[in-house]
Amino acid sequence: MTTLVVAGPTGIAEHDGGSYHPEQQSRLFAVMDGVRALGLEDEVVYPAVVEASVDELSRVHAPAYLAELEAFCARGGGDIDPDTYARPDSWTAARRAAGAGLAALAELERRNEGIAFVPVRPPGHHATADRAMGFCLVNNVAVAAASRTAVGERVLIVDWDVHHGNGTQAIFWDDPDVLYVSTHQHPLFPGTGRPDEVGGPGAPGLTVNLPLPAGATGDVVRAAIDEVARQTIEEFAPDWVLVSCGFDAHQADPLGELELSSGDFAELARVVSEFAPGPGRLALFLEGGYNPVSLESSVEATLGALLELPVRSPEPTYGGPGLSQLRTDRTERLRAVDRVHMEVGP
Amino acid sequence: MTAERYVVVGYDGSTDAQSAVAWAAKTAAALGAHLRVVHAVGLLEHAGMAGHAHVEADVALKIASDAGLHPSQVEWHVVDGDPTSAMLRMAEPPEVATLLVVGSRGSGGHAGTLLGSTSLELAEHSPVPVTIVPSSYRGG
Ligand SMILES: [Zn+2]
Repeated sequence: MTTLVVAGPTGIAEHDGGSYHPEQQSRLFAVMDGVRALGLEDEVVYPAVVEASVDELSRVHAPAYLAELEAFCARGGGDIDPDTYARPDSWTAARRAAGAGLAALAELERRNEGIAFVPVRPPGHHATADRAMGFCLVNNVAVAAASRTAVGERVLIVDWDVHHGNGTQAIFWDDPDVLYVSTHQHPLFPGTGRPDEVGGPGAPGLTVNLPLPAGATGDVVRAAIDEVARQTIEEFAPDWVLVSCGFDAHQADPLGELELSSGDFAELARVVSEFAPGPGRLALFLEGGYNPVSLESSVEATLGALLELPVRSPEPTYGGPGLSQLRTDRTERLRAVDRVHMEVGP
Repeated sequence: MTAERYVVVGYDGSTDAQSAVAWAAKTAAALGAHLRVVHAVGLLEHAGMAGHAHVEADVALKIASDAGLHPSQVEWHVVDGDPTSAMLRMAEPPEVATLLVVGSRGSGGHAGTLLGSTSLELAEHSPVPVTIVPSSYRGG
């Protein structure tokens, strides 16, 4: 049987924005209720989590930014922008969140089997190399991916959060060892993630943006990854598959307008798991997800599907808009890749 | 490519942003350009969870008209997104702005730090000139 590795939860006590803020502590209680609902009891493996070092964070973040974030928290923190806050202990929380991702991958590598789930706060995919935004301080999935490219491996990041992971995209924009594939509602914060954003001259086509209109259902998201992105992913042949696993594309989430059910995340997880080159090479990093009820059921459905447990989850959804747009966008994306190639020259 | 010249100013309702609109409107009038006032909607505001006051188009538009711009020369844009990417998008083809204008710090933004500064990030990435208007600017 496949082992479930859970690196976390971390960030419950240290990073508290108050009950008015949707990115709050109680999210992790709901997420862990979802883990417990699997009924695995003490079969779940919880590796020890330590804070990521500044050297590990510096693979993707500017040292000056990290120093500034640390100093800002030490001064008591505050609001960084209208969405994003830091508290005195948020620097610790952010390093621990990134450290959890590293612990997850180390545990998978040691066991050479299993799937890992990284339930942490604050989330990460909006954090750029030198800027906090969109609730995010440190880019957890990027720190984990960079730890593998540092040893010569290739990493696929699939980001199915309802928001575009602008930070992850920017960090790996020109990196030939990371393929970034994102489905997201568009237009929506942060405004990036158009199909013609395809990567820099060092990595043309290794950023794949699959924007979806409000109202898109699970079948459209699945088609985007399973049909539109599949060829690029298979040609890339990743050594690791990391998922920026936001659950805010759920129909009950207050921050987005996609129409996925918990069952859709199970289907998506099955599709994405096929891209892993073998056992012990798939890890899911919590990003968004702000409705406690759908968070719990989505975590249960997603992990249950990956572990092939008999979980009863709501039916997948069908029939929303966006399928024809995916085809038009594909043409636009290929044209943009050609343009980057031409700029680089033969 | 539009033949019309225009100035883009970011607006989040803060007093700094009001100063920026006043300066941008005066400059647009002097250049014979149109003014586009851009309000970027973040995660909380999109969900109706923003703790701060509602951002009013009327306030920005009145500042622009007080600065001498006819209402037909002013456009109000609400864009889902981060202020930096929303404004940079307006500076890229086919929508090439003549000038981007922002206040020195937005609501909650911390001037002079790397953490949340739209003005510093715009200055670094914009392909067109950027003006950062200090909060002390009161016209004239
Ligand atoms: Zn999100």
